[in-house]
Amino acid sequence: MAKKTRKRWIEVTFVTKEGDRKTIRVPVGMSMLEAAHENDIELEGACEGSLACSTCHVIVKDEKFYRMLKEPSDEENDMLDLAFGLTETSRLGCQVIAKPELNGMELALPAATRNFAVDGHVPKPH
Amino acid sequence: MQATSPVDPRVLDAMIPYYLHQFGNPHSRTHLYGWESDEAVEKAREQVAALIGADAKEIIFTSGATESNNIALKGVMHFYREKKKHAITTQTEHKCVLDSCRHLQQEGFEVTYLPVKKDGLIDLGELKAAIRPDTAIVSVMTVNNEIGVVQPVEEIGKLCREHKVFFHTDGAQAAGKIPINVNDMKIDLMSLSGHKIYGPKGVGALYLRRRPRVRVEAQMSGGGQERGIRSGTVATPLAVGMGAACDIALKEMAYDEEHIKALQKRLYDGLTAKLQAVVVNGSMEHRYAGNLNLSFACVEGESLLMGLKEVAVSSGSACTSASLEPSYVLRALGVDEDMAHTSIRFGIGRFTTVEEIDRAIELTVTQVEKLREMSPLWEMVKDGVDLKSIQWTQH
Repeated sequence: MAKKTRKRWIEVTFVTKEGDRKTIRVPVGMSMLEAAHENDIELEGACEGSLACSTCHVIVKDEKFYRMLKEPSDEENDMLDLAFGLTETSRLGCQVIAKPELNGMELALPAATRNFAVDGHVPKPH
Repeated sequence: MQATSPVDPRVLDAMIPYYLHQFGNPHSRTHLYGWESDEAVEKAREQVAALIGADAKEIIFTSGATESNNIALKGVMHFYREKKKHAITTQTEHKCVLDSCRHLQQEGFEVTYLPVKKDGLIDLGELKAAIRPDTAIVSVMTVNNEIGVVQPVEEIGKLCREHKVFFHTDGAQAAGKIPINVNDMKIDLMSLSGHKIYGPKGVGALYLRRRPRVRVEAQMSGGGQERGIRSGTVATPLAVGMGAACDIALKEMAYDEEHIKALQKRLYDGLTAKLQAVVVNGSMEHRYAGNLNLSFACVEGESLLMGLKEVAVSSGSACTSASLEPSYVLRALGVDEDMAHTSIRFGIGRFTTVEEIDRAIELTVTQVEKLREMSPLWEMVKDGVDLKSIQWTQH
């Protein structure tokens, strides 16, 4: 008897500002921020996912995936307004939750965050 | 009261404490000075929002309507540049809007400058035809600063909403003078100016709709004040002044309107009773009462102005009064060059008195009669000669 196996994880590719690509597996239900931290991807999360900063800003490269995401709340939009390098398909990584439809999504990391560090210092994840 | 207005004493009263003992930086988070200052700025923000039917979170303080217009136009076009390349505005906009558009054209964007009809209003059919799939924004000022005409903003807003194009309006001469509701009029961005409504100079505001959200690229980089859209310490006394001015304007709008309408009628009737060949530039029907732009045939504007030194009027608007070319706004109305040269803009406001109006009438009539007496053109007109039929030759 063939058993229908539901995918419990999806594949997401992070693209850094230099163009390096890293594809990781994200369990369904996990946020992109958490997934990035678990895989040592350089994504700051100053407020630890409590919608109080803009440092986990990611850019959804394909509009098709952007449209599949739930619309941002006013609070998320307010934080996005403060993000460095905002685009039309920007979201906060802590608010993008993995679901099966998002398999194959590519997320670009912006060139900088609002935390000022022109000397190249990168704050460690909390 | 067009180029500017005196600060209402009540506004000055509200501002003074923030220059003297309550001088904190509103962004200082750790002490009472900062908290007091921040509270004052937030209260002012609510007062500005209330004037136009917006939410306080949608108001950004700037250095004036010029800056707000720059942020609105360049900010929107730059943010959406990947998909949208086109903007629409009118030929009678304020210079800061037109210059921002020219600058955008230099950067490779396309701009359509809509013409206006003889009465100064835009043609809605032409606007609709000009909208393209890649149009990002339509910018049409609510009340024109030179001729005082009021554009059909509700219809424009409806059209823009249907076509999913942002609607920006320069409300510097309108806010606080005519009722405005950004939701009824479907306005997405609006520029406001402090010193046009009896507030201090050096401050203005930008209304930026939150739902659906309008995004702009900031024109000032820095610490991210004002929601990241306008970095720089907010000048508390100026913001408080603007808030107070908006608050007073909202409460006294109906009263001011009655006062100003009566004075405008008095001025117009007083002049036309004694003088012939006086033409009003722009629609008389769709007009803000505090502005009266008149052309006196066969009288040169600058000479008339020199004789009217006691009255603060201008030929063209303050920002164009230094140039020698006649006003581009009048040219857009199709006014003949010689009539454009003779145009005078009279401004009437909250503090204008009947005595001032009567004195203006007296002086104007005297000057115009004197100049016409000297004018060979006027003699010819009186004799029934059509000036356009004359062949001017050089010796």
